[in-house]
Amino acid sequence: MSSQTAQRFTWLAFLFLLPTLLGLLIFRLVPIVGAFVTSFTRWQIFDKPRWIGLDNYINILTSPVAAKVFINTAWFTMIYVPGVIVLALFLAVLLNNSLKISAFFRGAFFLPYITSTVAVTLVWRWIFSTKFGILNNLLIGLGYSDPPAWLADPIWSLPAVAIVSVWKDSGFFMLLLLAGLQTIDPGVYEAARMDGAKRLRQFFDITMPLLSRSLFFVLILALVRSTQTFEITYALTGGGPNGASTTLAYFVYENAFVHFQMGYASALAYLLCFAVGLVTLANFYVRKRWTHE
Amino acid sequence: MRTLYFAAGLTLGTAFTAQAADVTLRYMSWDAAQIEREKPAIAAFEAAHPGVKVQTQGLPVKDFWPRLSALAASGDLPDVFTMSSGYIQQWTDAGNLTDLTPYTKDLDLSAYTKSAVETGQINGGLYSLPLSWSGPVLFYNKNMFDAAGLTYPTGAWTWSDFLAAAKKLTVDKNGDGKPDDWGYSVFGRYAQVDGWVYRNGGRYLNKDATKLEPNVEAINTLKFLTNLVLKEKVAPYPKDLQGIRYQDVFPMGMSAMWVDGSWNINNVRTVAGNKFKWGIAEIPKGPDATAETVRAYAWPDMFSVSANSKNKELAFAFIRHMTGETRNATDFLGGTVPAFKAIAAREAWLERDKQPDNKEVILKIGEQNLYTGFSRNWDAWRGYGASGSGGMNGELDEVFNGRKSLDEAVKSFTTYANDALSR
Repeated sequence: MSSQTAQRFTWLAFLFLLPTLLGLLIFRLVPIVGAFVTSFTRWQIFDKPRWIGLDNYINILTSPVAAKVFINTAWFTMIYVPGVIVLALFLAVLLNNSLKISAFFRGAFFLPYITSTVAVTLVWRWIFSTKFGILNNLLIGLGYSDPPAWLADPIWSLPAVAIVSVWKDSGFFMLLLLAGLQTIDPGVYEAARMDGAKRLRQFFDITMPLLSRSLFFVLILALVRSTQTFEITYALTGGGPNGASTTLAYFVYENAFVHFQMGYASALAYLLCFAVGLVTLANFYVRKRWTHE
Repeated sequence: MRTLYFAAGLTLGTAFTAQAADVTLRYMSWDAAQIEREKPAIAAFEAAHPGVKVQTQGLPVKDFWPRLSALAASGDLPDVFTMSSGYIQQWTDAGNLTDLTPYTKDLDLSAYTKSAVETGQINGGLYSLPLSWSGPVLFYNKNMFDAAGLTYPTGAWTWSDFLAAAKKLTVDKNGDGKPDDWGYSVFGRYAQVDGWVYRNGGRYLNKDATKLEPNVEAINTLKFLTNLVLKEKVAPYPKDLQGIRYQDVFPMGMSAMWVDGSWNINNVRTVAGNKFKWGIAEIPKGPDATAETVRAYAWPDMFSVSANSKNKELAFAFIRHMTGETRNATDFLGGTVPAFKAIAAREAWLERDKQPDNKEVILKIGEQNLYTGFSRNWDAWRGYGASGSGGMNGELDEVFNGRKSLDEAVKSFTTYANDALSR
């Protein structure tokens, strides 16, 4: 290819990329910059924004309510990320074979991921209900006379949100891990079997190392998702009781679209972005130690 | 000279007609069902103003405010929109609303419920006309009162009358040590709590509503309500009712008495059906209240005109028509009281063929000193709507659930509220 045609080719490529690039610019970059600027203002959407410098950030970092929200978010991440990865890995390994019935179960476990969040959460709401819930009736039937008010209990409401989130998302992560499992050469397992390695040994010494790149991808994705939980919280607990299950994304929503504190909400979103960025960066840093290239 | 005036008048007149011939008035509401009921009234307005077309749009409340805010930001507000007492101060301060004073010269504002008009009077201007108002009342289950041999609540009831009745109405039917019928039921929500507070002369806010400083009367009221659950045991822990919509506790017959907004009358009719007889009364007056400090909790729903409207005069004529005497009493559901007093006074509004058979109780409330209790960012500090698990609402629920002391809760919601008020 002559340099001239190469140049023409580049321009042509840009021409075809233009709609996507424009879309990214208008619908991603502009709001990202806009939100950053907004985070230094007091703006209720329906009034003129007023520059207040770092006030929003100071306000957030000194507020006990916001502190609780940050702690809740971390707590949620600690339940959700291991929960969803372990369950997804278990299902993926279980279904990584060519049995007909496995194809059915792959679909079945993926189903929660594509069902309407609000609809299934309402079912979970009923399951967890204090007096009429199936869970508590089951517990009472088993002789446990005083089961907790799951969604109205400050200790249980956040784990309840995490449980529903794990249930809903594990099918999706299972699919990602299954794809990773399929790339592992069956010959490796055969050789291990001939050497007398048991199933558990095979899992830890072959499956895990060879799956580590997929696992890393799943880990990053799960981490980011864990900070974005919103719909399930909205429909299950409304962030309650007394903010016990309010995580950052939900708090941003409350401040932006219920209280119309756009500046405050933008500052929150940037702090969230900063925290997620930091954790992701740390992960990439330690990645070399445990992923198998 | 006279001819000249005449000619000028004619020209102006023609110009006006020509302009009026294609005027579209945009009207947006947070209640699509209400717009349906308003259709005949809107048609009548269009008939009286040839060439004017009213374009309506109804959205659910939670979508209404974000949409209206976005329209305000882009300078494209509808000419007329519904306005709540909770937001009018902020919207007026932001310069989005038209001062209606110049258009009201021939309008007798005293035809409307006084405090409903006052809510729209801000900084010496008038920024809305009230359509209706509502406020909390005490609902009571007549069947349960009859079974306990009690007389029905009245506006003269004191807290001790209330407590004595609640004790008798709390019944353990199956002898398992846990009540099956409760005398009363509490939640931290504004509609369940704040009516009690104001009827005891309590206030949360300072005079100009810039700071949260609950007075002794307010704290005493919160103590009284807390004791109903923790000490007197005449009301269940809110957490035990989780999974039941709070507005269904009374109509499902789980609580003999219940305080909620009068707008809830319609829901009680639907859920309770003919299962039991029920009535309404004023919330019992507290022992700390004086004639000067006692207030009935009530707030209006209103109409405002956009500051950018090109047809302000017409828009005002429209809201005057929509709130005025040509409306039917039956356009207002259950406990929603028409702000135009002559409509509320009509026999049809009392709905004698439906429960409760004593809706005049609400009209009596309207004659008292009313208080909306709103401030800037009220929804944040009180804990309203999607943020209902936070603010004062969330803290009070913790107290009623016996998980936090009232003192601690007051401390933390006051800090949070003053933070929200300062933003």
